[in-house]
Amino acid sequence: MVDAVIRRSEVAVPARRRTGLRRTMQRKSTVAFLMALPLILLIGLFVLYPALYSLHLATLNKSMERFVGLNNFLFLFKRETFWMVVQQSCIFAITAVIFKAIIGFIVAHFVHNVPAKGQRKWRGMLLVPWVIPPAMSTLAWLWLFDPSYSAFNWVLALFGVGPVPWTGDANWARFSVILVNVWIGAPFFMIMYLAALKSVPEQLYEAAAIDGANWWQRIWYVTLPMMRNIIAITALFSLIVTFANFDIVRILTAGGPIDRTHVFATWAFWLGIQGGDIPLGASVSLFMVPILAVAAIFILRDISKRGNEA
Amino acid sequence: MSRDRRWALRWSYFFLVLFVIFFLTPPVYMFITSLKTSAEISAATNPWWVYHPTLSNYVELLTSPSFLTYFRNSAMVSVIVVSITMLISVPAAFALSRMKFWGSATLATGVFLTYLIPETLLFLPLFKMFAVFNEWTDIQLINRWWVLLFLYPTLTVPFATWIMIGYFASIPKELDEAALIDGAGWLQTLTKIFIPVALPGLIAATIFAFTVSWAQFLYPLAFTTSADQLVLPVGIITSLIKGDVFNWGQIMTGALLGAAPPLIIYAFLMDYYIAGLTAGATKG
Amino acid sequence: MRKTKLTRRQFVGRTAAASAATLAAPFVRTAHAAGKLSLMLWDHWVPGANTASTELVNEWAAKEKVEVAIDYVTSQGNKNLLTIAAQAQARSGHDILAMPTWWPQDQVKNLEPVDDIMEPLIAQNGAVNDTVKYLGRADNHWIAVPATIGSQIKGPCSRIDLLKQHAGIDIQAMYPAGSPPKAETWTTETFFKAAEACHKAGFPFGIGLGQTTDSVDTAGAFFQAYGAELVNAKGDLTVKTDAVKEALDYCKRLAAFYPPDAPAWDDASNNKWLISGRGALIMNPPSAWAVARRDAPQVAEQCWTHGFPAGPKGRVAPFLPYFWGMWNFGKNKAAAKSLLVHLSQPAAIEKLVVASGGYDLPSFANLTTLKVWAEEGPPKGTLYHYPNPYNHQTLSIAAAPAPPKIAFQIYTQAIHTKMIVRHLQGEPMDKTLAWAESEVEGYLRT
Repeated sequence: MVDAVIRRSEVAVPARRRTGLRRTMQRKSTVAFLMALPLILLIGLFVLYPALYSLHLATLNKSMERFVGLNNFLFLFKRETFWMVVQQSCIFAITAVIFKAIIGFIVAHFVHNVPAKGQRKWRGMLLVPWVIPPAMSTLAWLWLFDPSYSAFNWVLALFGVGPVPWTGDANWARFSVILVNVWIGAPFFMIMYLAALKSVPEQLYEAAAIDGANWWQRIWYVTLPMMRNIIAITALFSLIVTFANFDIVRILTAGGPIDRTHVFATWAFWLGIQGGDIPLGASVSLFMVPILAVAAIFILRDISKRGNEA
Repeated sequence: MSRDRRWALRWSYFFLVLFVIFFLTPPVYMFITSLKTSAEISAATNPWWVYHPTLSNYVELLTSPSFLTYFRNSAMVSVIVVSITMLISVPAAFALSRMKFWGSATLATGVFLTYLIPETLLFLPLFKMFAVFNEWTDIQLINRWWVLLFLYPTLTVPFATWIMIGYFASIPKELDEAALIDGAGWLQTLTKIFIPVALPGLIAATIFAFTVSWAQFLYPLAFTTSADQLVLPVGIITSLIKGDVFNWGQIMTGALLGAAPPLIIYAFLMDYYIAGLTAGATKG
Repeated sequence: MRKTKLTRRQFVGRTAAASAATLAAPFVRTAHAAGKLSLMLWDHWVPGANTASTELVNEWAAKEKVEVAIDYVTSQGNKNLLTIAAQAQARSGHDILAMPTWWPQDQVKNLEPVDDIMEPLIAQNGAVNDTVKYLGRADNHWIAVPATIGSQIKGPCSRIDLLKQHAGIDIQAMYPAGSPPKAETWTTETFFKAAEACHKAGFPFGIGLGQTTDSVDTAGAFFQAYGAELVNAKGDLTVKTDAVKEALDYCKRLAAFYPPDAPAWDDASNNKWLISGRGALIMNPPSAWAVARRDAPQVAEQCWTHGFPAGPKGRVAPFLPYFWGMWNFGKNKAAAKSLLVHLSQPAAIEKLVVASGGYDLPSFANLTTLKVWAEEGPPKGTLYHYPNPYNHQTLSIAAAPAPPKIAFQIYTQAIHTKMIVRHLQGEPMDKTLAWAESEVEGYLRT
């Protein structure tokens, strides 16, 4: 069987001369490159090339026949709706991430408090929103928020509180979108923070207790500093994903009412496909890139910091 | 101390129950609605209780050829994408964590950065690319479910690679040196040592890839239109929603059935899933 | 290009009922020899209506020995529009597509001219109305065939009992079944008072202010009732005119009586409003009534479909036509044309209308008096005035008569309803008009 493996590995290696295995391992760079090649091809062909192509698309006119340079961008800058979308996307992403982080942190603490044996089932139940496909759960929320048949409004009516226009009023609609996003994403934060909580050494807490710290001070001076890396990484990763979110807004409000819940992704889709102006849609999408790039720089700094500390 | 501890515990349970109610209300509501007929729904009785429970929604969906087609398409796409993902990311992670070649450091961080380029940016140019390809080669790439086999890996491979790099990096180098001394080739090192040791990571990456593939909405929405090519999320949203009035009993049933495979896998393999997610982060 | 001889066989009798599937088969395949054809048809709101078109197409396929595939694509979530746009980009897809309203105009570069079918059809079936000409012709060519399936008038569908009780209006007397309407008093002012009364009584009119076609069509019709145009036929911006100000003011005052979350309504919301019994009137084709007949019969019995209120500049009803367009890059154009002719034969049209319960409106003049509208019920005669049999209202579409490319944008971006909502929520009219003008100016770009 060893022979078979040796033969197979000799065949697999595109060596120019028949080398022993030591030589093969030394030819690490070729082999390694080949092993990473599918990854490189995949990203290059289906991510990088289309991204560059969309840069080209954004410089064309509406019917994609003429080159117009930066006109699409200049046009967008003059539109009130565009700046509203920028503002909405940023507020949406930042607010949602903050709430996800806070709720995740709080819930992680409570789960951590529970004796270890019971934690498994609590963790299991609390992670469910993240496991259900977002498109499916957003449908459930859509039905829960329905103008005529909302189950929430039915409960509120029992207390005499008027029907809430969950998706009808601009501010309520923004609230609803953020709520659904937080509902879906908070479990992810909870799981990450729970793992990090477990890795904080017990002695630190004991030392703090000896020094007379109450629970708030323990969190502030012991837990948070130890978890700083995890908090940063999860928050930034989630910021990127939330910023580019499409499904929730599209299914829940389709960007309405009067464009008050549009984010970049949904507005680009609206302009590009439904408005028949693909270059304009591409231009809107491209605006996400600089903002995301700034977030990326922070992640890179953090990852390399972690790498150096490791 | 012990009394404080007990009070802390009671508060913890209390809040945990509140949060569980918050997190589980929508799925429970999906289930309740799925047992209702559309007559009961439009009668607007208590939405949180079923007065005349019926399994007709489930029966109708599970015996309808179109729903089963969506399910089959989703299953095929997800399983194949998971295999492709693992075939690409495991060797790549191995190469990036163990072997040094020109550009490997850039690639390792660069892989993660692909998430910065969102799908909403890519689907239009991708569309045109496939259209052009169709003109040159007459191979139909639009409106075929197997187009998704090329696209989903762009979403699953980076994170799966990242998880695996984390796991592989934590395997002590002495192990592979020992293997080398024993005369093992790189392939054998990979299969006999790395994979077994990093098995939890592999399982987590597999589950992640499956969940992401199953839940995809935008790419299939844009690239598939004929009913026999649709996958489940798009199929439910675009074709179950019939008529001006939503047939919500059936839609919720469809949504629940659509959420079932990831939930079931999660129920059985929860520990691996969680371990994989968190390890990818804490091991770095 | 080979011209196909048009078959003029009269097709007698209806085929036996197709197998009943709980979910209508969304795709149909018939295995036959020569040639393939694929269609994208609009997935009908009325339950069971798709089977009629499936049967008609299959019949034709069997006769002509063509292998046919049909996809029924919904307009919910704009899936059908997505499909059209995607196929135009890819230059490949179905051979025939159902395109609503402005889409043939938007896709004019990709559509095959169909003058050779339309002229004989008009000669046979009668003239088409002006809106169909406006939307279906470009550069003096017919670019698409008006489709029966899906073409609708979004006029009022009222609750007889509630209007009588709270607004003092006997709608059945105003629009009696079987005879011409006596609707001189059915004006925008009466409408306003009725809306106010029903709102006070707790049964508001269910009119949406969202961005889907139901809301846009109603708003557009009110604007046209005041003669208000955002862009005139020559392509000049006419946003800041008195007519627009009057129309906007009326709509804003009226909107105070709409349900509070009207800005978020989609095409299904008004149906749900009526069927749940909460509303006294909605603007919708008969699909809501058809579903109520199944799910809430006591509501359905009190429904009456009738004409739109008249404004200072006329009585305009919102008409939403569908068209069947052929891609000019399609592979089997001859077969496609033959099928379109088959589907536009009077017997075929009658079959489609009956299967849709009277929802579908033929666009040809000779075919607007089929029996089905007089006979549908309960209550009997509820749809009599739906197809505008006495021509007492002009059929038009929001944003007409602006040049089609601009009107398309105004319509899809829902400028009318957005203006109303902005003004309703407190923005001064000048600011709203300025905003609308800047938006529409943007649509003038090419």
